[in-house]
Amino acid sequence: MGKIPFERPLIQKINAGLPSKYGMVRRPEPIEDIEGISIESLLNEYGSPLFVLSEKMLRKTYQEAYRAFSSRYPKVQFAWSYKTNYLNAVCKIFHQEGSWAEVVSGFEYEKALANGVPGSKIIFNGPFKSREDLKKAVENDSLIHIDHFDELYELLDLAENLEKRPKAAIRVNMDTGIYPQWDRFGFNYENGEAWDALNRIMISKQIDLLGLHTHIGTYMMTVQAYEKAALKLADLAMGLERKYKHTIKYIDMGGGFASKNTLKGAYYPGSDTAPSFDDFAEAIVSALMKSEFKPDHLPLLILETGRALVDDAGWLAGTVVANKRLADGRRATIIDAGVNLLFTSFWYEHDIRPAKHLSDQTEDTTIYGPLCMNIDIVRDHIQFPLLKKGDPYVIRRVGAYNNTQWLQFITLRPRVVLIDPEGKTHIIRDKETLETLNRCEHLPEHLI
Amino acid sequence: MKREFDFTGSLLNSYSQIFFSDNRLFAGILILVTFVDFYTGLFGLLAVLTTTFLARYLGFHPFKIQQGYYGFNSLLVGLGLGIFFQPGPLLVLIVILASVLTLFIAVSCEGIIGKYALPYLSIPFVVSMWILTLASREFQALGLNERGIYTLNDLYIIGGNSLVQVYDWWNQLAIHPSVRAYFLSLGAILFQYNMLTGILVAVGLLLYSRIAFTLSLLGFYTAYFFYLLIGAPFSEVSYSYIGFNYILTAIATGGYFIIPNKNSYAWAVLTIPLVVVMTIGLSRILAVFYLPVYSLPFNVLSLLFLYVLKFRVDNRANLTPVLIQQNTPEKNLYSYLNFMERFGKESTVPVHLPFFGEWIVTQGHDGEYTHQDRWRHAWDFEIADEDGKTWKNSGDFREDYFCYDKTIVAPADGTIETVVDDIPDNTIGERNLEENWGNTIVIKHEDDLFTKLSHLKPGSIQVKPGDKVRKGNMLARCGNSGNSPYPHLHFQVQKTPHIGSGTRDYPICNYMLRRDKEFFLKTYAIPEKGDRVSAVKVNSALKKAFHFIPGEKIRFTPEDASEPLIWDVKINEFLNTYIECRKTGSKAWFKTDDAMLYFTHFEGARDALLYHFYCAAYRVCFGYYKGLMIEDSFPLSMVFSKKDLIFQDFTAPFFRYKKGQYQLTYTSLEETLSDTHLLLESAVTTFSFGKIRSHTSYACDIDNGGLKAFSIHQKSLTRKASCATE
Repeated sequence: MGKIPFERPLIQKINAGLPSKYGMVRRPEPIEDIEGISIESLLNEYGSPLFVLSEKMLRKTYQEAYRAFSSRYPKVQFAWSYKTNYLNAVCKIFHQEGSWAEVVSGFEYEKALANGVPGSKIIFNGPFKSREDLKKAVENDSLIHIDHFDELYELLDLAENLEKRPKAAIRVNMDTGIYPQWDRFGFNYENGEAWDALNRIMISKQIDLLGLHTHIGTYMMTVQAYEKAALKLADLAMGLERKYKHTIKYIDMGGGFASKNTLKGAYYPGSDTAPSFDDFAEAIVSALMKSEFKPDHLPLLILETGRALVDDAGWLAGTVVANKRLADGRRATIIDAGVNLLFTSFWYEHDIRPAKHLSDQTEDTTIYGPLCMNIDIVRDHIQFPLLKKGDPYVIRRVGAYNNTQWLQFITLRPRVVLIDPEGKTHIIRDKETLETLNRCEHLPEHLI
Repeated sequence: MKREFDFTGSLLNSYSQIFFSDNRLFAGILILVTFVDFYTGLFGLLAVLTTTFLARYLGFHPFKIQQGYYGFNSLLVGLGLGIFFQPGPLLVLIVILASVLTLFIAVSCEGIIGKYALPYLSIPFVVSMWILTLASREFQALGLNERGIYTLNDLYIIGGNSLVQVYDWWNQLAIHPSVRAYFLSLGAILFQYNMLTGILVAVGLLLYSRIAFTLSLLGFYTAYFFYLLIGAPFSEVSYSYIGFNYILTAIATGGYFIIPNKNSYAWAVLTIPLVVVMTIGLSRILAVFYLPVYSLPFNVLSLLFLYVLKFRVDNRANLTPVLIQQNTPEKNLYSYLNFMERFGKESTVPVHLPFFGEWIVTQGHDGEYTHQDRWRHAWDFEIADEDGKTWKNSGDFREDYFCYDKTIVAPADGTIETVVDDIPDNTIGERNLEENWGNTIVIKHEDDLFTKLSHLKPGSIQVKPGDKVRKGNMLARCGNSGNSPYPHLHFQVQKTPHIGSGTRDYPICNYMLRRDKEFFLKTYAIPEKGDRVSAVKVNSALKKAFHFIPGEKIRFTPEDASEPLIWDVKINEFLNTYIECRKTGSKAWFKTDDAMLYFTHFEGARDALLYHFYCAAYRVCFGYYKGLMIEDSFPLSMVFSKKDLIFQDFTAPFFRYKKGQYQLTYTSLEETLSDTHLLLESAVTTFSFGKIRSHTSYACDIDNGGLKAFSIHQKSLTRKASCATE
């Protein structure tokens, strides 16, 4: 018989009897592998911490989403929201599945072009597009989603001097019954700004108005808002048809579908409360079908959902750095990934698990990241098993936003690996080195 | 629609129609042959002219006049009178009167026999010839013709001694009496009782149709051997005008009114002895009146045979009456075979898949669970992910199933017959055997065509009995009611409106079948278990390019020409659509539906651009699926020249060694929201004994405005044309 592993002593109040409204004492089940590959072996091979993405999961989620819409509506197109995760490998997987690209900056635009997306299949969103960006987008036949009047004027000005006609849509914001109402992007529906913009475009005759776009918010937990938004866009489209005999080609419902992560302060876990793709699809499609669109001239339905497609396919694995006791007696565990890599921990109660079975006991623990900064907290309160220094952990559902919002702050950013459908692993982004950073720096002569 | 009357055509066809043909060369030979005896020829022509003018004057259907349907009976009467009687003004009058009578009888026959969809053949000729034969005995002023009787005298007058010697030599030749009799019989059809005429007619017949020629020999020799068998004197055949009865019957029943094949040949062999019996029998009766039988046995037996065939309930004997007469057995055969291959399984009401997106067949026809016995022609559909799983999460709830609550649409236009909407959905794993079919809609499409959609979600049905629905209208949601342990859609076609009716074997009009990333187009096919099927997703540019609408004008400008060719899309009185080239007059017949274009026939010169377009767009699906390949085959007569088919024609009823293949590839699509650019490439390849004989490839460039450019590559030759649709 081998040596029994040491488990640190723990004193815990006995919580017997009927479960309270907080339920039974919960113990996070360990997650030992991703797509059949043990997390420990991944950490050994690629270092700690480590982002792991599953290609199988990416494709499966995409197909599920696509199926939810295409089995209800004849013309559906997804556009991959670059800002959610613009690792080239991730983008390419979505493009292979048939996604267009949705970008919000000149940099992302370049990235999409470099990923082989034809200009005409790039949707250029966002409040900031430089004149140069706009010019490039016009020349490449990209779909420019106009955000404000200044951009519209700029585009009209450009259109006068360019051979090609800009292909554009306007972004519309509206009251869909949710709070806070997103009114900082696009033109407002209720106060008539949207019609102002449409009138200007139609009267100018210099822009091809191809579609209408809205993006009602982020992490939407209610599908009714989409139904309202779709009806309002349909109303604008029918108005254009009546007033200018102009038929738009597409309706872009944006994204904002919730993933299964749990928001801070949420009572129930996200996996139980987030609407499914089918729920979103049902709401949007039934609104479009209810509207006055003629059945044989239905516009293309574009969706830009990012988070819901990629969140589940990303894991962050790492190692426990240290344990300590806080002044109030609570336990603290320091891990090697913090808010620098896990930007989303500012709003999610991330689902962190031990990466192997270590202990049957749990203790109220605060999990800190490795940064020398007070705010670096991954979880405030969690019933967590008693992990020791060097033990592996894994955080689920980190595919969205973390690989784009991560900070090179205090530490360097780690590797990202992709597990392909055959179970082979590929490094899709190498870890940063000092060299990576120094490359951009220049020392004035007198400091050398 | 204004139609020009083709007078020459009606004249020529009156001659060739005797052999069911509209071949001009054959007609020319026949005219020539009638003039072997000059006056006979003249009176024949007079009869045809009289009938044609009169028919036109009285206003009969121009098509029928042009086809020579009326003319040929009068022609025969005219020839008969011309050979029997001495030419003169009186005979002119008699022939004119006889023609009028024949036309009247012909039209009446058409009215009487035509309603049984049977041809009246040469009955008018027989009747009117008898009447005239009987009556003319009293015509004292009309002299009998003596030309045919003293042949040598006639020949001497025409060609002197040398011609008489040639004639002698000819008669001395060692030709088997049956061969002589065959040629004489052929000539006898035109009342020209000599070998030369017979040979010329035989050559004409051979030129017109190899199958008809073969059948003429088959018919004649069957009769010959039957005479030998029964011991009846064959000389009777040789010395009277009755041999052609066997020839004509064999052609009519073996290949002209019936699609020629080994069965029709066998039946021709079988019916000829009957014609012999009938000939001998009828001759006995008619002998009382001193009347020849003429073509009566042929008429009686052919009509008998064709009429009898109509009462069959199926075509197990493989004797298929010709529906669209193209006037040669070859054309009938080739286009019939091709039609059966292309549209054989076609159904009158196109039934489509009753849902959006891609579903999977989880139980097909003759399924292992419930699709058995009377209910074997049904489908169960579900939605599956790439791994074939039809649910997500644990699969314990209805909502976990991908197909649950998905919209179900009408598979075809129709009227709602029955609706059941109040049976609750089952818990997963449970079945409701009391209300087996669950919530159900039955739609009536035709008197004996209903479709039934079952296991629907309670309360989801948006239609009520009596509602008219169009294909694609939303009806209900997929549910889990009735005998349904997990959500699925049961779909079947049936003959009666009841829930629980037995099923009918009926194909789905068209759909896409996907295997991995590859798509296959299926038309009039039955989806099988495990098939991932979806409706054809129509590409609007493709549809604009190929969904021709009558009234449209297509302008083709060939690279090497300055003047554009203008093609008009037209529709005729039978609602058949075609494209007509203004310059060449050629026509390409087509039909379209929501998702497909089929060219069905081409008339005109093969070097016309329209012919190439017919070849290039022979069958086009309006959905774009990269790499999709559509294959089809041409009727041999449409891709081979007549010359190339001469030998094939002989064996065609039994086996075909030539083949014309069509292949269309969806090469590339560049599509943005405002522009589409599509390239379709097609090829026509002809084979002989499996070896490639010719290969022509075509390319069609298509953009938002429709067809943009069309090019033809033939060996080293390339022709290009730009197109515009108005």
